[in-house]
Amino acid sequence: MRGDEGGKMDFGYTKEEEQFRERLGNFLDRELTEEIARQNWEDRGVGPEAREFSRKLAANGFLGMSWPKEYGGQGLSPAYDFIVIDELGRRWGAHIPLDVGYTMVGHTILRRGSEKLKKEFLPRIIRGEIEFCLGYTEPNAGSDLASMKMRAVEEGDDYILNGQKTFNTEAHYADYHWVAARTDFSPDVPKHRGISLFIVDMNSPGVTVWPLRTMSGEQTNEVFYENVRVGRHRLVGEKNKGFYYMMEAIDSERNHVFTPFRLLPILEELILYARETKFMGKPLAEDPVIRDKLAQAAMELEVAQVLADHSRWMESNELPMTYEPEITKVFVSELEQRLVDTGMQILGHYGQLEEGSKWVPLRGRIEWYFLHSFMTTIGAGTSEIGRNVIAQRGLGLPRS
Amino acid sequence: MDFHFSDEQRMLRESAREFLQTECPKTFVREMEKDPKGYTPELWGKMANLGWMGIVFPEEYGGVGGDFLDLLILLEEMGRACLPGPFFSTVVLGGLAILEAGTESQKKEFLPRMIRGELILTLAHTEAATTQFDPFLITVKAIRRQNLYFVEGTKLFVPDAHVADYMIGVARTQGRTHGREGITLFLVDAKSPGIRWELLKTVARDKPCEVIFQKVEVPRENLLGRLNGGASILEKLLQKAAIGKCAEMIGGAQFVLDMCVSYAKEREQFGKLIGTFQAVQHHCANMLMNIEGGRYITYKTAWMLSQGIPCMKLVAVAKAWVSDAYKRVAALGHQIMAGTGYMEEHDMPLYSRRAKAAEIAFGDAHYYKKVLAKEIKLDP
Repeated sequence: MRGDEGGKMDFGYTKEEEQFRERLGNFLDRELTEEIARQNWEDRGVGPEAREFSRKLAANGFLGMSWPKEYGGQGLSPAYDFIVIDELGRRWGAHIPLDVGYTMVGHTILRRGSEKLKKEFLPRIIRGEIEFCLGYTEPNAGSDLASMKMRAVEEGDDYILNGQKTFNTEAHYADYHWVAARTDFSPDVPKHRGISLFIVDMNSPGVTVWPLRTMSGEQTNEVFYENVRVGRHRLVGEKNKGFYYMMEAIDSERNHVFTPFRLLPILEELILYARETKFMGKPLAEDPVIRDKLAQAAMELEVAQVLADHSRWMESNELPMTYEPEITKVFVSELEQRLVDTGMQILGHYGQLEEGSKWVPLRGRIEWYFLHSFMTTIGAGTSEIGRNVIAQRGLGLPRS
Repeated sequence: MDFHFSDEQRMLRESAREFLQTECPKTFVREMEKDPKGYTPELWGKMANLGWMGIVFPEEYGGVGGDFLDLLILLEEMGRACLPGPFFSTVVLGGLAILEAGTESQKKEFLPRMIRGELILTLAHTEAATTQFDPFLITVKAIRRQNLYFVEGTKLFVPDAHVADYMIGVARTQGRTHGREGITLFLVDAKSPGIRWELLKTVARDKPCEVIFQKVEVPRENLLGRLNGGASILEKLLQKAAIGKCAEMIGGAQFVLDMCVSYAKEREQFGKLIGTFQAVQHHCANMLMNIEGGRYITYKTAWMLSQGIPCMKLVAVAKAWVSDAYKRVAALGHQIMAGTGYMEEHDMPLYSRRAKAAEIAFGDAHYYKKVLAKEIKLDP
């Protein structure tokens, strides 16, 4: 059902969707391992096993369900894509192996790209063969993204790009850079109206990638451009419309990336740990404070799921989204922090032990998530910017 | 999956909102807080004429034949309007219990009159020993002598007992004071000899009562459901009551947010609208997040209840979340409305006082998180 006409409230899945989930679940139980899940999730670089898994996922018909048939998709409802994301997530927090292309960039190419770009990139994305990395943030353009300085100047049939990007995660293994640069330099033009999007081969002459190591051990990168030549056909959509395309894509990105199901394995491991670990002869699970904390986390996860379901449903039915995916993003990321904090408290002394240490509980996963959780409320927009968006776009409060 | 209401449901919401704006302005709400009865038969009659008391009951008893979600829409609008009076007690606590557990002749006797607005019902459940919510802590006894039961004991926080025609009395007919076994429900004529009630003064000024039963005679045919089988009826009823209360709370919380947003768009300080300040924007964003989560979890659970899908876990999630969420929304509302919202004649206290009462009703987050701890299999 499309549009804003009346329906009939229904929180269930169709029989076809349930069958799809079951078929997918069987496949994942066979093919997905914790190692593959972690390679992508921890941005350690997608190794040969994960690349192979990605191709198998596609070959078995689990990628591109909602994409048009002419580009290799199956023309079904996005509800199926969300089932894939959920079923991956509930297994060690896994994600689509080459997720930037699949969950973010591809949708904008489909919406705004030329026919040539669509034919060149979409089938390969759906076959799970190529990965992109986002090139938005710069040292002086974080929350204030529109103030980016990277320049793209026309020269014949090409653009010449110069400048620096930072925190470009996946840049060390991506095949393409999805890079935003300034193309209108006149001082009278508002800064968000002078930005364009380009697709750049990561091995183009003049592109240099420098690693940055995060506090939880993931690799992110600085990317430097020195007179990098990019063909005009690699401009996405119209010149100077790039910032609009970026903003237009954000809602769907949030729906695809901030998945409550990815937190389920953490909760489940903690429940098991509390049942099996004793203090003074009694299982931790009998401690009323610990019970309350885990129940609180379980409650918040259910609320997160229904918030996510709501904004996904809007996207699936092409309803105009304003603040809904932002609520999901802020809620899920902050929930992750609270859940992991609860986990660290339950582990007590042992919580501080890192993976590989003698005596480490739960393979060091909680300790890793603890470090990682400082990022979730920052990456893809801070919780504070998120709340500005909710207040201004959702409630119509005036701009600050 | 579909989050849409049907066209009929949208029309129901719109007409309910319009009706309550006219018939239940805040002046009326405040008046009823001081009124000894707490409602007016005029408004009660108009609501009955609209079919509200019959919304969720089959047509054969004079009802509208709607489903539980339709009832929730009305409750949400009533929460928004702070509607005083015995609707919740009558329709949710009384009517749904009879529909669920009553014999055919009990349904025929009670439901049509209730639906016509001629019968006020309530549930006499909580007791003095229930200092923490626990639905199966029942000491009030019902002792059988031939064809009569004699009910003896004291109930507390009985909503609208002072105006009720019949109460569903929860009594122990067997077993220990605490436990599911041996609980029985009775339809008790509220005017029976031996019943005394007294109004309790509460934060929401909603007049729950202490009800004392002294050798109150109840005929055997007024047993509701099976003898000693009251616990499962009660459990189902309280699930619906908790979710109904959630809908009421969501309606109230949404009003608070709407009020704060309009205020932030007109109130100036430091030469600027306060709505331009990020601190105020973040308060409003937090209110919206609390409400949206609460709304969808409430409707999802209601959908499961109406489909007959077991959902104790989600009932617990919803009542725990919404109870806390409404409280947070009310507290943030007070921050935004500031001094003016602290005044007795302001609308803000109507909502923050009701948020507290609703949080407690049918179990708070503390209780439901204990339920949830079992549901997530923390016990071996």
